Amino acid sequence: MNWRLGFVVTAAACAVLPLVVPQHSLTILVEALILGLFAMSLDLLVGYCRLYSFGHAAAYGLGAYSYALILTYLPLPLPVGILLAVAVTILIAIPIAWICTRSTGVSFAMLTLAFAQLGYAMLFRFRDVTGGSDGLVGIPRHPGPLGIDWFQSKLGYYYLVLVCLLGSYLLCRAIVRSPFGAVLAGIRENEPKTIALGYNTRAYKITTVVLAYGFGGLAGALYAAFAGFASPELFFWLTSGRVLIMVIVGGAGTLIGPILGGVSFVFLEHQLSQVTDLWPLIFGTIFMAFVMFAPQGIWGILTSRFRSKPAAPNSDSGKEAPGAAT
Amino acid sequence: MNWFGFILAQCLNALSQASILFFIACGLTLIFGIMRIVNFAHGVIFMLGAYVGYTANVVTGSFLVSLVVAPVVVGLVGMAFERTLLRHLYGRRDGGAYLLLTFGLAVVLSEVIRLIWGVQPLGTGIPDFLRGVVIILDQPFPLYRLFLIGLGVAAAIAIWQFLERARPGLLIRAVSQNSEMVHALGTDVDMVRTAVFGFGCALAAVGGVLAAPLVTAFLGMGTSVVIDAFVIVIIGGMGSFLGSIIGSVLVAFVQVMGAYYFQDLALALMYLLMLLVLIIRPGGLLGKED
Repeated sequence: MNWRLGFVVTAAACAVLPLVVPQHSLTILVEALILGLFAMSLDLLVGYCRLYSFGHAAAYGLGAYSYALILTYLPLPLPVGILLAVAVTILIAIPIAWICTRSTGVSFAMLTLAFAQLGYAMLFRFRDVTGGSDGLVGIPRHPGPLGIDWFQSKLGYYYLVLVCLLGSYLLCRAIVRSPFGAVLAGIRENEPKTIALGYNTRAYKITTVVLAYGFGGLAGALYAAFAGFASPELFFWLTSGRVLIMVIVGGAGTLIGPILGGVSFVFLEHQLSQVTDLWPLIFGTIFMAFVMFAPQGIWGILTSRFRSKPAAPNSDSGKEAPGAAT
Repeated sequence: MNWFGFILAQCLNALSQASILFFIACGLTLIFGIMRIVNFAHGVIFMLGAYVGYTANVVTGSFLVSLVVAPVVVGLVGMAFERTLLRHLYGRRDGGAYLLLTFGLAVVLSEVIRLIWGVQPLGTGIPDFLRGVVIILDQPFPLYRLFLIGLGVAAAIAIWQFLERARPGLLIRAVSQNSEMVHALGTDVDMVRTAVFGFGCALAAVGGVLAAPLVTAFLGMGTSVVIDAFVIVIIGGMGSFLGSIIGSVLVAFVQVMGAYYFQDLALALMYLLMLLVLIIRPGGLLGKED
């Protein structure tokens, strides 16, 4: 199988990468992988259900703050803390998903945005618990279970994040290729028809929103444990906007595309913000260009170039439903 | 009778806030109602209005001139954006593309504003002839806020009459109902769309010029405002003109009263109001189910 080979090669390359780059670049590598995971989680909504969430920062923030708060009160080992944080995020996501999926399109976008901003407001309301605008600092990474402590070093943590990203990717890939994923594609292409076929599309959408929050929460928890702090900015709408840009530029509906989008966004931002303060202007322009001329995103362009050679007659089918064939 | 005067002052305060919000939300809902376009850049357009108004005010020295110049300039910017970029997305089946493109515009435009006007907040203060205070039931009340209320009410009536009575208003409503038929009857529908987009942006610019003396023109003023405006439009019902008036008043009251009585929850109250409305009526108070 072609994709298996690609997956193994990519995984191996990622595993070797931190050994050849200088130590101080590790931080940026870890952040890139975490944001890649975060962008992929949003792709489940944007790419597979065409539900534009403008408040995915809520998932990130919930994951990060849950981990931070759990670790503030309980000296749990890092993997347990992260799993608990994901569980908390999923629990909170269920009512959010239930309410947001009552509407579609713009209302969905604004409802998700409202929940994220509500979370942002709550951080300031419950200042004694959340630290208000200072956020929570000094979040530890405890060793264990069984005395495992390799993830306490930066290099070890890189591998932990890599394993999480690859594992999440395989899981998401399995989900979108399952019968469940086929129903999601049905919702994306024609929801009334899918309902007429007898599917309870609302239940599918709720499940997908909760899943997206779960993976987004994982990214947030990994970030909080890595950075050692959680700030209200994680909940802010700009975080939601940036991750949406990563998904669209990378290529919605492909899972790999948003990971690429997230990773390249972090690298570009790191490089460009050192030489010019025009970085937001540049990424805004790039983003608009992609929306206008290449809605299939980077990965969509790459794969369509690659594919259109052998199968010429069907070459423009990818234009109608970007990523459906991947 | 002091408490009564106090409550009246609070209400007038809320109404003046509603007036500014109305200018933004009304443009947003008009653009959506007629073009089915969600203009995420509307907050930045509002901000652009405040900055252009500032410059016009500095150059000409007259607040009233800036109140005319800024909407014209910003309206032209909006029309140019619609003509050059937005137009090419009309064929797309996916309405989300508008949301994404205008979000991109918001990012780019706010950077452009930063490059032109810099990061320092710019304020001209309240113009001299509106600087006074009016005593209402023993409570002093700023004249400028009364001016805002008056202007808001006048604008609401004017726009309503324009949409209901005037021939261009009739065309606009016709385009929103069946653009193909209007096109077949010989009207330049593209021109109507460009004009509506420009008009919506111009209204937001008026809001920006009016808000600038109260909060100064600063980077980021568009961010909170665009969310307020969306909340209003969603509460009132997407595309409903009357809904945008009701929504503006509701949100302004929640903001002003919330800031006074429940300071801790002030930020959250508006979102709670929107959630409540959407749970009861998913399409908004006066909107259709979507």
